[in-house]
Amino acid sequence: MTEGSAGPALEARGISKSFGGISALDGVDFDLIQGEVHALLGENGAGKTTLSNVLAGLYRADAGEVLVDGSPREFRTPSQAIAAGIGMVHQHFRLVEPMTVAENLHLGWEDTPKVCTRRALAARARRFMDEIGLQVDPTAYIWQLSVGEQQRVEILRVLARGARILILDEPTAVLTAQETTELFDVLRRLVNGGRSVVFISHKLKEVLDVSDRITVLRRGVKELTRPTEGATIPELALLMTGESDEINVTHRKVDGKIALEISKVTARNDRDLIALREVDLSVREGEILGIAGVSGNGQTELAEVLAGMRMTDHGSVHVAGQDLTNAPARVVIDHGVGHIPEDRIGMGMVLSASVEDNAVLRHYRREDFSTGFGLDRGAVTAFAERLVNVGRVQTRSLDATVGELSGGNQQRLIAHREAAVADRVMIASQPTRGLDVLAAQEVQSTLLDLRDGGCAILLISDDLDEILLMSDRVAVMYEGKVVGVFDSADADRDKIGILMGGHQDADSLR
Amino acid sequence: MRSFRLERQLDLDPRRAALYRVAGALCALVLGALVLVVTGRNPAWILWQALDAIFGRQRGIEGVVLRAIPILMTALAVALSLRMRIWNIGSDGQFLAGAFAAVGVGINLDAPGWVMLLAMAAAGTLAGAVWILIPALARAYWGVNEIITTLLLNFVAVQLCAWAALGFWRDEGAWAIQSTEAIKDTLPKIPGTESLTIALLFPLVIAGALWWVFRSTRAGYEIDMIGGNPKAAAFAGINVPRRVVAVMLVTGAIAGLGGMIHLAGSPGAQQLNSGFSAQYGLSGFIVAAIAGGSFLGLVVGGFLIAGMFFSGLVLQTRGLSVYIILALYGIILIGVAVGEMAARYRLVRAESEVAARRST
Repeated sequence: MTEGSAGPALEARGISKSFGGISALDGVDFDLIQGEVHALLGENGAGKTTLSNVLAGLYRADAGEVLVDGSPREFRTPSQAIAAGIGMVHQHFRLVEPMTVAENLHLGWEDTPKVCTRRALAARARRFMDEIGLQVDPTAYIWQLSVGEQQRVEILRVLARGARILILDEPTAVLTAQETTELFDVLRRLVNGGRSVVFISHKLKEVLDVSDRITVLRRGVKELTRPTEGATIPELALLMTGESDEINVTHRKVDGKIALEISKVTARNDRDLIALREVDLSVREGEILGIAGVSGNGQTELAEVLAGMRMTDHGSVHVAGQDLTNAPARVVIDHGVGHIPEDRIGMGMVLSASVEDNAVLRHYRREDFSTGFGLDRGAVTAFAERLVNVGRVQTRSLDATVGELSGGNQQRLIAHREAAVADRVMIASQPTRGLDVLAAQEVQSTLLDLRDGGCAILLISDDLDEILLMSDRVAVMYEGKVVGVFDSADADRDKIGILMGGHQDADSLR
Repeated sequence: MRSFRLERQLDLDPRRAALYRVAGALCALVLGALVLVVTGRNPAWILWQALDAIFGRQRGIEGVVLRAIPILMTALAVALSLRMRIWNIGSDGQFLAGAFAAVGVGINLDAPGWVMLLAMAAAGTLAGAVWILIPALARAYWGVNEIITTLLLNFVAVQLCAWAALGFWRDEGAWAIQSTEAIKDTLPKIPGTESLTIALLFPLVIAGALWWVFRSTRAGYEIDMIGGNPKAAAFAGINVPRRVVAVMLVTGAIAGLGGMIHLAGSPGAQQLNSGFSAQYGLSGFIVAAIAGGSFLGLVVGGFLIAGMFFSGLVLQTRGLSVYIILALYGIILIGVAVGEMAARYRLVRAESEVAARRST
């Protein structure tokens, strides 16, 4: 091992990798110098995760080689990569929830004593934490921890096994702003201590904040590598997306008929606690009402109530004058209410079914596709073909399972399918969460087209920028209540931010 | 030097999958042959004997068909439930329940022949459905694991039949084997055969009907969607628990009808006893697993397994234990499962592929 040499700690040369005939990486070079945070920037589907999985030994490249400290290495298992000092922290944590922090740290680790007590494990865990300088209560159960703390356990787990190189896949996607700042401090300390970090993100500002160098990937090809110093957001955005057109939205004061009326709705969450308190909202035809709020303040339950997936305690829901309070999902669909669900994979699609079957999942009962008991396969195929073309869903065929599609293409499919369902009302829950810029813009313009066609749209999003961009009116939710409604002209970011934080008005802060 | 590696296939061609399953079954048979060799038997001779037993005379072919019918009926029941990713392991019990109800009608009712047959068919179908009713409701509304409930009811069904045979419907005239009385009305013969009845039509028609249901009806689509993701199905407006109950009842009904047509359509099976089902549920389960959701494949597989079963019976007279046949079943099932996994991977020559990429 060549310690402290000038060469890169980790290098990838000419990496190519394809899945099912679709190229995810094409001849990508990448190098990581010891003691730096190197950001890997790109849209979803640009190949960031694939590249990091190759570096971490989870995927084997079709072509190219990975060099650690200047010598080629081939990893057949993640543990071989860790033994070589490369550790990966995944976007979705791989922790065992009913076990403690100390137990998770020692899970599947050769150095774990064969026979030991919980107390001994906790003591060992504490020792690592002191060495590394990251603290989490070792006796706490994973489920008791916040997301940020869970991530810290993941990082500790990798570092305890001796990783000198840390690969973090979209680490901030699940974190609050405060937790993100803390994470960045941790990363700084780690690189100052001689470790190196690959930081994967599609958030430009974070990349500028935390990294020393930046590599931009686009559609599986490396665009460039440059020092972070002097880089600007517009420049990086252009490299990342290849397109610079911003979406243009004109807001209007709408006085069409009320299409969706929610009055005094109270409902409970899965734990049987009150999640919605006397919610009053109405959306007019051709209007987008944005729901701003920190997630977990009743937005999920509101969307589920409107989709016919959750019962209310009291209150009423009317669509175009028809009472749909506690109507089953089927009736809600029949009244022309589309719904882009927050949980796309768990609820929005059947991953093992084909693109074609998923394209009509919500309105296969309609006359266009159904005669008597029959399902008109020809009509279904024709519709799916049109949807794939209009919605620009990239798929190898209509028979491909939606599980094969990238996240952006899955959401394009869902958005266009729900647009076909939404004759009157569309509920869009976190419609662009986790999507790359291009896919997000396409989903947003799908919603705007619907609005212009006279559909009433309820847009629920954690992303305040999106809410402000898209909405004709903005309502703020906090602890299950609507705490304010603004026209887009009066929708002031600071005012909304304060309401989202649970304060009645700016004055109460003084 | 490692020049080969396995690559997971994202898309699975159904024909390729079917081929691998069949290949897995064949490998299993070869493995079985090796076991025979080790135990000092000549597999080629046994194979010859088996083929001769089937194809050497008309009775052989008919014997296979007769055994294929109950196997196909239970296989259809299992296959339908599997489309919903529900495991009806209790098709044997539903089969027996159907036969039990049919015998009850057959020996206690007095009516013209065709009325008797219709009544028996109705009773058998209904009894099969009733036998799975509690597992279906428990699964649909309380999430109780249907594998356990349906399996346990098999044992109850065997005891029920034993009780009938030894007790309340006992044939007073029988001495050697305790059975119920025999039913008098049987299904019409197929002309030109020695022993086949129109019972053969039932599994073929049902398989065709199910193929059609899944190809071109809404119900079939809904069942497939529930199988793929119940939550998405509910989101699509499907009443999932109600559908689960309905489909499970239909699977029970098919198996129950299977019991009735075996009773009334298979020569020498007109009496019920605890040995009435010769592991038909197990065989049907294997057939459904081999077919992997394809109803055409299921019919083919059903006849293959029935052929093995029948030749096994013949081979018993040549000194082979029936347990060897059961062991072969097990090996075949493992072979199919391995084949199914293998179909998802492709062996790639790592070096040559890299070379090919570099040259382009």
